[in-house]
Amino acid sequence: MENVIEVEGLTKMFGNFAAVDHISFTVCKGETFGLLGPNGAGKSTTIKMLTTLLHPTAGSARICGHDVVGERDAVRGCISIVFQDRSIDWELTGKQNLVLHAAMYNMGGREKERRMNEVLDLLELQDKKNVRLVHMPQAVRRRFEVARGFMTSPDVLFLDEPTIGFDIRARMDLWKQIRKAKETEHSTVLLTTHYIEEADFLCDRVAIIDRAKIIAIGTPEELKAVVGQNLLSVQIADGERERGRFMKEATSIGWVHKATEYGNSILLTVESGEGRVSALADFADGHGFSITALDERKPSLEDVFIHFTGESIREAEGSSDMKAKRSMRKAGR
Amino acid sequence: MEKALTVQPKPLIEWQPIYSMWKREILRFFSMRARVFSFIVSPFTWLVFLGIPLSRMMPAGQFHLGMPFFAFIVPGVLGMGLLFGGMNSGVTVLWDKEFGFLKEVMVAPVRRISLIMGRSLGALTVNLLQALITLAVALVAGIWLGFSLNSVGGFLLALVFILLTFFAAVGFGLTLGALIEETEGYMTIVRVIEMPLFFLSGGLLPVSALKGIPILFQVQFLNPLTYGVDGIRGAFSGVYLISFPVDIAVVAACAAVFLTLGAYAFSKMEVG
Repeated sequence: MENVIEVEGLTKMFGNFAAVDHISFTVCKGETFGLLGPNGAGKSTTIKMLTTLLHPTAGSARICGHDVVGERDAVRGCISIVFQDRSIDWELTGKQNLVLHAAMYNMGGREKERRMNEVLDLLELQDKKNVRLVHMPQAVRRRFEVARGFMTSPDVLFLDEPTIGFDIRARMDLWKQIRKAKETEHSTVLLTTHYIEEADFLCDRVAIIDRAKIIAIGTPEELKAVVGQNLLSVQIADGERERGRFMKEATSIGWVHKATEYGNSILLTVESGEGRVSALADFADGHGFSITALDERKPSLEDVFIHFTGESIREAEGSSDMKAKRSMRKAGR
Repeated sequence: MEKALTVQPKPLIEWQPIYSMWKREILRFFSMRARVFSFIVSPFTWLVFLGIPLSRMMPAGQFHLGMPFFAFIVPGVLGMGLLFGGMNSGVTVLWDKEFGFLKEVMVAPVRRISLIMGRSLGALTVNLLQALITLAVALVAGIWLGFSLNSVGGFLLALVFILLTFFAAVGFGLTLGALIEETEGYMTIVRVIEMPLFFLSGGLLPVSALKGIPILFQVQFLNPLTYGVDGIRGAFSGVYLISFPVDIAVVAACAAVFLTLGAYAFSKMEVG
């Protein structure tokens, strides 16, 4: 497979703070690749470097074989980006915005019309194209931005948190539209997200990123397999005191691979098999623990994140986000 | 890759992006009716509500270069519109930065200078329209108040001064905008400086009115708008306070310097 994105030791420092710390990955042609991690993990900074908006402090990145520093114009010629923050002119209609975009890429009359209609169809926007965007809900504006992203038939489309702030219905709609557009257009897509389901639904491969570093890369299935075949989430009475002992004793069970503490629960990675729930309940009784909640499930990418970092994405956002913001402010951005 | 990735050298003038940015400016302007309305009404405010009453109080005389007061302030009102309109383009660039539009355009394979050119030309079109409306109003009121166009040549020369004055203001606005990098700060600064710039330009009051007052009198000659207003007035009436060659040289030089500075500062501005 041909690599469309090649990232090698990419680093961005803001003063003493490493926003992105020696990350490396490659993305194949036609792949949808996701950077999954909490806010402040360095996803947007990575995208900004890959799209030539920020200079890397160290390392290199090539898009379609072009260096993002040395061949900025060539890189810009083969990418599109949908930013996390608004980047479309609300004073204009969706169609006017698309026309403007086409002009920036020197798209000619007939091709412009054809492409415009194609992307308006893909994102289901034909009936909304002539309304000024100030009068449109956020989700529709975002769909116009995605349509605009696909319009120039980019080799690589970057989507930075495409569905942030959406309700579930709008999110599902956009996911399906992105998927369909991607299949029709054969673009390579790199997206960042802190929504587990988004990475799971859209991505062929996912890189989990936390505190400026990539901690795991693989297909969602591969990553989940790392965690184990099954998970038991356990809460015990008097958890503060007993949790440590429980985890230690539980790992002595043959089919328990690993015990991770998160929040006030304990996550047990277990070999799949019949009757694990009742077996664990018996084990707890026998060792003097009283279980208050017990739940068996298949691992999700969230569990993968917990597996590698010891906290959930939301918890990580609370801690690292604040730290990151503070040190970024100190560094004068 | 199916597509051959040949990177074409950029043309010297990127017509299509420039044109589309120009068009965006026009579309934005006309998309808000309130803005169009205030734009058309503002020349009336100054000429009719201020110009007419004041001209009844002030007889023609040496004080106004020998012309009726109304004829005297028409170039001043024109100059004010150009100054305010031009400075405003600095803030629109900052808005674009704040609202992310600039980012979108920045990743496009287009030179920043083309964006500024398109935007400035759009602003010029809109402001030229306002200048023409102002002039039309002035000509109607001028039937009674003593303002008229002497010749086509004078009118065309006035247009040249209007153009240069506007570009100087745009360049100044862009430079300031790129330096301040923040809408609110920019607005505050502009509000502080644009009124004094106007009052000390000989637009509303004759330059000689400040004769004998140290600093204030001299500052007028450091103000580029003084030369723009004097040029426009001279083109209409044939009477220059300074002189035609000095006026045109100063205004053209200011336009060139400020536009270059503005384009440079803008291209260095961080967008991330």
